[in-house]
Amino acid sequence: MNAPAPAVSVRGLTKSYGRVRGVVDLTFSVERGEVFGYLGPNGAGKTTTIRTLLDFIRPTDGRASILGLDSRRDVIEIHGHVGYLPGEFGLYEHLTAREQLTYLGSLRGGVDEGSIGELAERFDLDLDVHIASLSHGNKQKVGLIQAFVHHPDVLILDEPTQGLDPLMQQAFYRLQDEARERGATVFLSSHVMPEVEHVCDRVGIIRDGRLVAVEDIDDLKGKAVKMVEVRLATPAPSGTFDRVPGVREAVAFGDRVRVTMAGPIDPLVKALARHEVLDLESRESSLEEIFLTFYGSAEDDG
Amino acid sequence: MGSIFSKTLREQRRALAWWAFGLVAAVVLTTAFYPSISKNAASFEKLLGSLPEGLRKAFGEDFASPAGYLQARLFSIFAPVLLLIYAIGAGSRAIAGEEERQTLDLLLSTPVPRRRVVLDKALAMVAASAGLGALLGLAIVLTGPPFDISVGITNVAAAAADCVLLAVAFGGAALAVGAGTGRRSVAVGVTAGAAAVSYLIDILALSVNGLGWLQHLSPFFYYRDPEPIVHGLDPVDAIVLAAIAVIGVAIAAWSFQRRDLAA
Repeated sequence: MNAPAPAVSVRGLTKSYGRVRGVVDLTFSVERGEVFGYLGPNGAGKTTTIRTLLDFIRPTDGRASILGLDSRRDVIEIHGHVGYLPGEFGLYEHLTAREQLTYLGSLRGGVDEGSIGELAERFDLDLDVHIASLSHGNKQKVGLIQAFVHHPDVLILDEPTQGLDPLMQQAFYRLQDEARERGATVFLSSHVMPEVEHVCDRVGIIRDGRLVAVEDIDDLKGKAVKMVEVRLATPAPSGTFDRVPGVREAVAFGDRVRVTMAGPIDPLVKALARHEVLDLESRESSLEEIFLTFYGSAEDDG
Repeated sequence: MGSIFSKTLREQRRALAWWAFGLVAAVVLTTAFYPSISKNAASFEKLLGSLPEGLRKAFGEDFASPAGYLQARLFSIFAPVLLLIYAIGAGSRAIAGEEERQTLDLLLSTPVPRRRVVLDKALAMVAASAGLGALLGLAIVLTGPPFDISVGITNVAAAAADCVLLAVAFGGAALAVGAGTGRRSVAVGVTAGAAAVSYLIDILALSVNGLGWLQHLSPFFYYRDPEPIVHGLDPVDAIVLAAIAVIGVAIAAWSFQRRDLAA
């Protein structure tokens, strides 16, 4: 037996919309059982990629496959294996949440009423309310339930936590953990780093329709830079710390110096020892800051 | 909730009840006035005689006989237009309505082929139109005799079936435009416009000499000629209208299958 095909494989995927930007020459894959974050500002091409995976839109060039099944040829089989949450979606306003979920379930050959009830309980959703009177967050819950309820092998989730309050976000993370524990693959998009940092094994960064990086979350954390802020009894002349190994930048203002550095902190401490230090504060940068350091300002050009 | 077919019908049950009510009311108001009109048939026919020839033919010239009366009052325009409005609405909504309300993404993320969605929705449109047509016929058969309207059941059935065929022909066209463009208003506009033009062409061709060939482009011609309430259903006419519906659904499935969905 060959190794199983990756959960998601994208090769040279391009989608052009005339003059409007789509996605350009995307290549990446997501292994089975992995939680993959697809990160980028709004309008970068995340939704375009996802809708191509599901054959809602057709690539101009390149190809995509899910579980080794071709996104164009084997679309029905793919849909049988995938739980999908669109970034924006409508529900049948005149139905109750239960009716909507049962209907979608019946088109999958039937889903267990009990599972629907159980998920609704975890999300604190009243199933017998008409969808027309549900809030945005509650509609998002209906979307999440229909994506998870049939225990799919691959979950494709476009901005899954939008509209959910923090408590419900936790409920979603638990659900996602359970899916991962039973071996499912999760491909989720987001425009905010902390979410991805929290739940993903790897992350792909898309900007302006191009994939700029695919990184292990742990590797990224290894690239972490520290921010050290020091208060000195007497201001140090500017440039004092610039040549200390590991220091990327040292900015002096008044009696304070703010140092951005990577690697061991010892050389800085040795250098500081020549001064009278009144106060010292050090913190790890967030992944967001790491990204800004490595890939420029991703949030600015959405 | 079952299949797409049954869900599509179920969600229309309230609207369909109103259509049914309106249709039956129209039939009762028509049949109930027959006695008073047949008494004054001579003056009505004089009035009709003053109309241009095309309109006269379109409404039917034999106003006094029960069949001629039903043709003029019900089947010349009122009943077919009622069914047309229903079918055009249902056909336009089928795909484009779901796409505009963004319910299509979840529907199509299930393992159901796009063509089956089109087919189920088309069948629901045909079934509901047929139901309304059956009710139309039934209402005539039941409320006619008390008011001296006695027309053979076969002819009533033929006329009602003819209405249904015309409706599903344009309903199929609306489905095709809606599935191809994803825009409900475009589908309604184009198809309702085409129906109006088709009706005018039929009338015009009746009144203007030398335009007879033009009629054959008009679905209304195949609907009207020969009047089924008087002459029974002409199989060729029925086949032409049914073929338009089938072609419409086929185009809908084909164009929907090959295009990108709106986000």
